[in-house]
Amino acid sequence: MSEKIYALLLRLYPAQFRKRYGEEALQLLRDRLRDEAGFPARLRLWLDMVADLAISVPREHRALRSALAPAAPALRADGMPSFRVLEEEPPRPATLMVAGLLSAAGLVAFFVLINIAGARFVSRAAQQQAPPATTAPARPAALTAEATSGGGNPADAATAAAGKPGNPRAGSSDQSVSIAALDPAERHRVVTAVADDLSQFYFDREKGQQAAGVVLRQERLGADRAATTGSLLATLLTGQIRGATDDLHLIVEYSAPALPKQPGTALSPDGLARYRALMHETHCTIEKVAVLPGNVGYIKLNSFPEPAVCEPQIRQAMGSIDNTAAVIFDLRDNRGGDPAMTALIAAYLFPKPVYWYNPRGATAAESWLSSPVSGSRLTNKPVYILTSVLTLSGAEQFSYDLKMLHRATLVGETTGGAAHAGVFHRIDDHFGIGIPEVRVVNPYSRHDWEVVGVTPDVRVQPAQALVTAQRLAQAARNGAHTASAQR
Amino acid sequence: MPKRKLDPLPSAAFQILLSLADEDRHGYGIMRKVEEQSGGRVRLGPGTLYSSVQTLLDEKLIEELDPSAGDDSRRRTYRLTASGRRLARSEAERLADLLRIARARRIFRGDYV
Repeated sequence: MSEKIYALLLRLYPAQFRKRYGEEALQLLRDRLRDEAGFPARLRLWLDMVADLAISVPREHRALRSALAPAAPALRADGMPSFRVLEEEPPRPATLMVAGLLSAAGLVAFFVLINIAGARFVSRAAQQQAPPATTAPARPAALTAEATSGGGNPADAATAAAGKPGNPRAGSSDQSVSIAALDPAERHRVVTAVADDLSQFYFDREKGQQAAGVVLRQERLGADRAATTGSLLATLLTGQIRGATDDLHLIVEYSAPALPKQPGTALSPDGLARYRALMHETHCTIEKVAVLPGNVGYIKLNSFPEPAVCEPQIRQAMGSIDNTAAVIFDLRDNRGGDPAMTALIAAYLFPKPVYWYNPRGATAAESWLSSPVSGSRLTNKPVYILTSVLTLSGAEQFSYDLKMLHRATLVGETTGGAAHAGVFHRIDDHFGIGIPEVRVVNPYSRHDWEVVGVTPDVRVQPAQALVTAQRLAQAARNGAHTASAQR
Repeated sequence: MPKRKLDPLPSAAFQILLSLADEDRHGYGIMRKVEEQSGGRVRLGPGTLYSSVQTLLDEKLIEELDPSAGDDSRRRTYRLTASGRRLARSEAERLADLLRIARARRIFRGDYV
């Protein structure tokens, strides 16, 4: 009996050892069993055996491994693939069968897990991206509105700035909170349209076609099935095409209220008349022009209106602060507008033309400021720009470019992050895609302020921005005085 | 089989070398002799015994006799080689040195050995 148990325990040793000494070990046990009779002796014998096993089994296995380690480099040295034999006996059929079954079970378990976890991951990722679209409906709506106007229609920004519900989409965007289910046919139509528009309109034809291929392949693989609502699908597709192109300006938009049928780029005569009336009423969104204590010029501008309508008013405002020692542009409530107006104002601040970066891609002639502006005495005065999270679009362009040109100090919050450089293409009543159609090289970095915003030089709460800027202007003036006094 | 470290010499290996100093023995014989020469303190189990035997064989400190010796073919008999004897002697001398130091440091109670 004891012998049989020990014979089984001997299997714990490496085969080599067992083969060489197994019989002898058994013989030794037999000898001891013969010589050591009686309970205390037998107990001692078995304690010996167990202790011996505990010590020597691990040691034998360790010895086997360390014996193989130095042999390995020699085997690999000649570059030939090699197998190292741990056991001298070939594996038995039963062992092979068990190993085969285990491997098969492992493979099956792996694929099952991948399927379950993969599906869960996709749907969770989609859900995580969904909240911004539902909890803050104002932003996507604003994006849609601006993108729809393509060339940066100042009317929307101006109406928003004037605090009027002039944009029906912004007003009704709350409806996007209600989640409309998406049927597979609609999904397929949107995916196909996105792919078509990409390959047709994206400025880099090759990349556009690649991205279209990715979108179609993902659909075939069923990745889109997790998108059960319109906004989820838009988020998913945006992720796919941005991943394929690495271009943050590409965006698929979903709007619960129907998008307008004809997203014209120019204002209709009726719209233009309304715009003129609004600009007249709001004094071209110039909320305040003043010369603050310490001879600091201050302009609170709530949009960058169209030069065709507002150029005289803006020039008048700039002229009225021409004699000041520093300028503060208050853009905390500026939602953007016409890039031409940002260039018109910025021209006052430079003694010679500089490149004026516009991510929407102006023509070559418009890319340079028309500096110097005759009579401008602001070219060497310190400039401060007050920003908030509501500083958007054209106002961000103004802030970003002047910051990059080291011509202004930004005081306040990081801006909202709306560059929307794309041209909006309507897919159907609820879906559209923004596609950059021209390549615009950002001279400062690979990405502009899209999504990330423009970071301020001095970070303060918007409410404190003006006081802070005034203090900075005062300090700069004192510094200049001291410098000139020393000279 | 690979070379195993015998430096420092494990006490089991030293015991086996000592047990073979006066005559050739098989495994069980070695075990009994070790038990006897250690006053019953060391009883080598089969695993420890044969892994030590293997190491000593690899290092040619002991050798295996031909099984033609007659009695039981399952029992292999081992003999101490000349280098095994040399190693056992140097180990004993090393221990004797240690013993002298220990004695000089008055580790022992009374004055014995």
